[in-house]
Amino acid sequence: MNTAFSKDELAFQDEVREFLGDYRELDGFYCQGHKWPEVRAMFRAMAEKNWLALSWPKAFGGMALGPVYEFILWNEVAYARAARNPLAAGIVAQTLIRYGSSAQQRDWLPRIRSGEIHFSLCYSEPEAGSDLAALRLRADKNAAGTHYVLNGQKCWQSYAQDMDYLWVLARSGTQESRGRGISLFICDKHAAGVTVSPLPTLDGDQLNEVFFDAVEVPLAQRVGEENGAWPMIGEALADERHIQFPPGRVRRDLEDMVAWLNANGLGADPVVRQRLAELTVQVMETEMLALKVLEAMVKGVNATVDAAMNKISHTLACQDIARAVLDFGGPEALVSGARPELLWRQTITETIGGGTSEIMRSVVSRQLLGLGG
Amino acid sequence: MDFELNEDQQAITEAIDRLLAQHAGAARAIELNREGRYDEHLHEALAAAGFSTIATDLASDHSSDLSRDKGLAGLEAALIVEAIARAGGVVASAAQMLVAPAVSAAAIAGPIALCTMDNLAKPVPLRFGAHASTLLVLGYGDVHVIPLGSDDMEAVRSSFGYPMGRLRSAERSHELLSRGDTLGPQAALAMTRWWRLSLAVEAVGTMDAALQHTVDYLKQRRQFGRAIGSFQPIQHRLALCAIQVEASRWLAREAAYHGAQDEAVAAAAAFALNAADQVFTETHQMSGAIGFTCEFNLHVWSMRLLALRQELEGVGGARRALVRARWGGGG
Repeated sequence: MNTAFSKDELAFQDEVREFLGDYRELDGFYCQGHKWPEVRAMFRAMAEKNWLALSWPKAFGGMALGPVYEFILWNEVAYARAARNPLAAGIVAQTLIRYGSSAQQRDWLPRIRSGEIHFSLCYSEPEAGSDLAALRLRADKNAAGTHYVLNGQKCWQSYAQDMDYLWVLARSGTQESRGRGISLFICDKHAAGVTVSPLPTLDGDQLNEVFFDAVEVPLAQRVGEENGAWPMIGEALADERHIQFPPGRVRRDLEDMVAWLNANGLGADPVVRQRLAELTVQVMETEMLALKVLEAMVKGVNATVDAAMNKISHTLACQDIARAVLDFGGPEALVSGARPELLWRQTITETIGGGTSEIMRSVVSRQLLGLGG
Repeated sequence: MDFELNEDQQAITEAIDRLLAQHAGAARAIELNREGRYDEHLHEALAAAGFSTIATDLASDHSSDLSRDKGLAGLEAALIVEAIARAGGVVASAAQMLVAPAVSAAAIAGPIALCTMDNLAKPVPLRFGAHASTLLVLGYGDVHVIPLGSDDMEAVRSSFGYPMGRLRSAERSHELLSRGDTLGPQAALAMTRWWRLSLAVEAVGTMDAALQHTVDYLKQRRQFGRAIGSFQPIQHRLALCAIQVEASRWLAREAAYHGAQDEAVAAAAAFALNAADQVFTETHQMSGAIGFTCEFNLHVWSMRLLALRQELEGVGGARRALVRARWGGGG
C-alpha cells in the first residue's frame, strides 16, 4: 500500500500550483455564473498546456496521462477555489471518444480540447430528477428524416446560461421503455426554439430551466445509437468519479474557517478547538475516501461504491464545516458576502446535486452491503 | 393536566391567523426581504387589533383567568408570536410582545431591537436593527432602554430572512447608553429569560411552517412512480422532524405558561434551537433541487432558523443557562 504520488506526479502538482498562482483571486468555484468569462479564460490557458485533454488518448490529441494527473489538476483547482472541472472535457469528450462517429470526433473534440466550446448537461426534468429513466422530453425524426425534433423541458441545469452547447438526453422510444428508449444529442444552445430561463438559487447564482420548442437537431448530432444512451451516460459518469468531488475543496473550506475564526478572536476557545479537531478528522476521512476512488480508477475496477461513499463523506464535511463556522460566528456570520454565510448557502446544494445523498446511500446499501431493493 | 388551549386562547389564535392570512405570508416576506424592509403595515395592523399589547392587557384584566403571576399573559403572547413566525411576518413581534412587557411596565415604542452589551461594544448585525425605534440592551445586571435616532443604525444586507441593521460605530455606544433609561437587575433577569424564550417560540412557528411546506411538496412530488413522501425512509425522517417540532412547541408553551422560569426557558431554547438545525437540513435535503431555488418558498422560513440560532449565544448559551439553573455555578 502506498498512497503517495510519484516523483513525476508531484512535479506536475507543483506545475499546477504555479499555474494557479495567477488565478488566486478568481474565486469561481462557488458561484461560477458570476465569473464565467474569467473561468473560461482560465480554461483556455489550461488548454494551451493541453490540460483539458490530460487523459484523452494521444490519437485524439490527448496526453494519455491517466486519472492521477486529472485528480491532481482538479483537486488543486478546487483548493484554489478557481473553478469546477468543465463537463465538456470530461463527460462529453469521453463519450465522444468512446461512442462518437469519426466525423463527430473530428468536429467536436479539437474545439473542446482547446477550451473553445463548453457544454451544459441537460439530463433532469421537472418530473425526472433522481428517477432519470422517467424523462419525457421527446426526440422524433421529422417527416423528411433529416433531423430530430426536440420538444419538452429540462430543469435544474447548472451554467446553461453561459454554455455554448447542450448535451441532451431525450426520449426517442416509448415512455414505458424507460432507460431503453433514450438517446443522446448535441444541441446548439442558440438553435431556434431553445429557451434558457433562470432559476435563481439561494447561493446567489442560478440553475436553469431549458425549454425545447420544436428544436431541430441534425441526425449527425445524435451521439451513439438511437435509444442507446443509457449505458453511455453511466460510463461517462464513471469517467468523472475521481474528479467530481475533489477533497481539496473541503480542505480549503476548513482552512478558511480556521482563518475566519482566528481573525474574529475565536480560535482559542476550547469548545471551538474541539469542534475543529472533529472537522479535521472528517476532512482526512474525505481525503482518504477520495484516494480510494482514485485507486479504483487507476486499476480500472468499478468505483461506483467508493464514489458514493466519497460523495456522502465529502458533502457532509462541506456542510459540517459551514455549520460550525455559523455556530461560532454569531450574528456577524449572517452578513451577506461574508465567507461563512456564503459557505452555508452554497453547501445546501452539495448533498443534492450530482446524485442526492439518498441515491448514494442506496448505492452503498445495495452494492456494498448486498441489501437488495 | 390539559394540553388543550382554553376558549379564550383558541379565540386568540383564530383571530391572529385571520389577520395574518390577510396581511402576511411567504410572498409578502419575499417582497420585503428583497429590499431589507420592515413590514410597517403588519406592525400597524397588529397594534390596531390589540395584539401588540395583549400580554399586559390580558394580565391586567383581573376578571380573566389568563392573568399570570408575573403580570404577563405569557402563553397568550407566545401563541401570537408563534403564529406570526409561522406566517413569515416581517415584524419584531417577539421583542414587542414577549420581551418588552416583561422588562418594563411602561410602554416601549416599537419596533424594538434586542442586543447585549457585547453586541454594542463590537457592533454586530441585529434583527430589525435598522428599523427599530427602541433598542433594548441587556447589560451586566441592568437593561438600557434606548430611543434610536434615524442615523444611529445602518442597514446590513443579509440572506437570513430578517431585515438587519447594526450600530454605525462602536464609539456611539457610550452616547447611546447615556441617552436612555436604565432598569435594574430584575429587568435584566426578565429580559434574559423572555428573550431566550422568544427565540424558542419563534423557532417553533418557523420550523412548523418549513416542515409543513416540505410535507405538502413531498405529498405531490412523484419519482419512481410514487409520491416521494410515500417512501418509508422519507416518512421516518419527516416523523423525526415532526417530533422535534412538537416537543419544541410544548416545551416553549410550558415555559411561557409558567412565566419564563430559568430552567424551563433554557431547556425550551436549547431544544428548539438545536431542532432548528435538524429541521433546516432535513427540509432542504428532502425538497431536493427545488428547495435550493428562490422560487420555492422554503427559504422564507429555513434561513430564519439560522438567524435565530445566532442570538443570545444560541444553543450553547441556552445549554449553559440550563446547567446554571439546575446545578448552579457560573459560566
